[in-house]
Amino acid sequence: MNQASSIVSVRHVHKFFRRGSERVDVLNGLSLDVLPGECLGLMGPSGSGKTTLLNLIAGLDTPSEGEVWVGGKLVSQMSEGELAHWRTRSIGFVFQFYHLLPVLTAYENVELPLLLLPLKSAQRRQQVQTALELVGLKDRMWHRPGQLSGGQQQRVGIARAIVTDPELIVADEPTGDLDAKSAQEILDLLIELRRSLQKTILLVTHDPRAAARADRVLHLDKGQLVTDSPVLV
Amino acid sequence: MKFLLLIFKNVRRNLLRSILTALGTMVLVLVVTLVWTVLKALDTATTEKSQNFKMICSEQWRFPSMMPISYATLLRDGGARDAGDARPIDFMTWQFYVGTTDPNKHTFESSLFAFAMDPNKLMAMMDDLDSLPANDAARFAQVVAKLKANKRGLIVGKDRLAMIKKQVGDKFKLTGINFKGIDLEFEIVGVFPSGRYNLSAAMNDTYLNDSLDAYKTADGKPHELADKSLALVWLKVPDMETYHKVEQQIAKALGNANPAVKCETASSGIASFLEAYRDLIWGMRWLLSPAIIITLALVIANAISISVRERRTELAVMKVLGFRPVQIMVLVLGEALLLGVGAGVASAGLTYLAVNYIWGGLPFSIAFFPAFLIPINALWWGLAIGAGASLAGSIVPAWNAQSVKVSEVFSKVT
Repeated sequence: MNQASSIVSVRHVHKFFRRGSERVDVLNGLSLDVLPGECLGLMGPSGSGKTTLLNLIAGLDTPSEGEVWVGGKLVSQMSEGELAHWRTRSIGFVFQFYHLLPVLTAYENVELPLLLLPLKSAQRRQQVQTALELVGLKDRMWHRPGQLSGGQQQRVGIARAIVTDPELIVADEPTGDLDAKSAQEILDLLIELRRSLQKTILLVTHDPRAAARADRVLHLDKGQLVTDSPVLV
Repeated sequence: MKFLLLIFKNVRRNLLRSILTALGTMVLVLVVTLVWTVLKALDTATTEKSQNFKMICSEQWRFPSMMPISYATLLRDGGARDAGDARPIDFMTWQFYVGTTDPNKHTFESSLFAFAMDPNKLMAMMDDLDSLPANDAARFAQVVAKLKANKRGLIVGKDRLAMIKKQVGDKFKLTGINFKGIDLEFEIVGVFPSGRYNLSAAMNDTYLNDSLDAYKTADGKPHELADKSLALVWLKVPDMETYHKVEQQIAKALGNANPAVKCETASSGIASFLEAYRDLIWGMRWLLSPAIIITLALVIANAISISVRERRTELAVMKVLGFRPVQIMVLVLGEALLLGVGAGVASAGLTYLAVNYIWGGLPFSIAFFPAFLIPINALWWGLAIGAGASLAGSIVPAWNAQSVKVSEVFSKVT
């Protein structure tokens, strides 16, 4: 795969932590590329390093060694302030447990990342309504999370992820807390959004059915890629 | 604006806890406001002025003074004898008459304390009465005119009037308590403006002195206090230089007199009197007030800490979404400020209204102050105490909030 054409390029990344005097290696010289518009599945057992890899790509952590490029930017060299700013504009997050703010309505939850951008109120309103419409929840925009089902809450989470029009969506076990039917609907929605909005999706999952919806699946074990299934798109 | 809304919604998140914290803050701000009101009034009363201030001449070794009335003539001129001597701008003599409406049972409620003085000095020399607002001054001038016209007239404070169950226009008799055998008939001609004289009264000094003379005529010998009836002489001087000159002139004129006389500024006179309360005032200023403010900060710290602990994951999510640590910190500090400042200002405002307009002052009897009015500045105190305590109490929780690790969002994912 060509690095220049990738939206995500991870190069010889090492990540280790110190536990007292002991060094704990989590990622060992890992490299990978993700193409624009691709849906990449990341699988692996507990402790394999997939969440750490996700954090590095999403700018939530920095590697001990190596480089992480996202959208042509060297993320691994950014300061914490630059990373925060970059995350708002470039990354959409979908979490296993939705992580919506319970005191805010669906509308306000989706609007939250937009508060960090220099947008006028009318622009924000337009973007929030569009995002909620895309996930099919425009009629529930004034409901609080507690008044929505799990599947609906995850839809709000997805609307929050796409509202800033990011180039990369990072989904961390997005179906892990849902029943089979809702999980299927959420996966359908993610795949549809990838198709219609040309988004790149990084999908961390334990669920083989979710992984099966990805274009390509990477398996991690002990901080290294063990298999890389072929690109389907 | 949206940030403010977010802060407001977070405060409303656990409404019961927020209300309890606000109530705790209000109670503590109330106590501090009351304590500071008393301290500020005492500070003001004991702060030396440099121009147009009053000095007090009293007996040196006894309180209350029992000077011969003959001292008044010399003292009111500031001991001046020669044309070039310094003279006070104005003067006022005080004699005290204490009587009771119920000679069989002396109680606080049935007794009355009156300044026996020249009515002309009421609005010229009496603290607070010399600086009444225009409308009050015009009203009170009419009352003073009635006192001047009626030797047996009496001006009474509204609280004392209620205690002795009388009203303006009533005539009644007081049985002398300090001047035994001098029972006086009075007619109430008016009421003092609400304030420091709510429990006091003022009468014509000529009525008391004429009664002492009449006692001598009737009994054949003078009253035992006839030559000990002068309590205080107040002199108004233009500046410190005149004060020192007058003080020296009086010392020279009454140097060998018995009883001896001392002169001091009104503020130092009050300060001397307050020496008896020194430990109480020190404790209020340096123990009670700081202890309350620290307690307030702890109350707020506890509430905000619980709130931050409950939503560490939410704060981590916000960081993941792009909120910077400083924004998270501002959010938490904002919540504490909203609670602290809101409750502080509300408490001070309610205290101001309730104490001044419903109770007519804080009835904390100390020295010559029967009641203290809450100053309008108390609103700023409430704001400052609320803001200061909430900031102090929320710094640690806010720091903890901003240092939440984003990994907390993924804590349940391996």
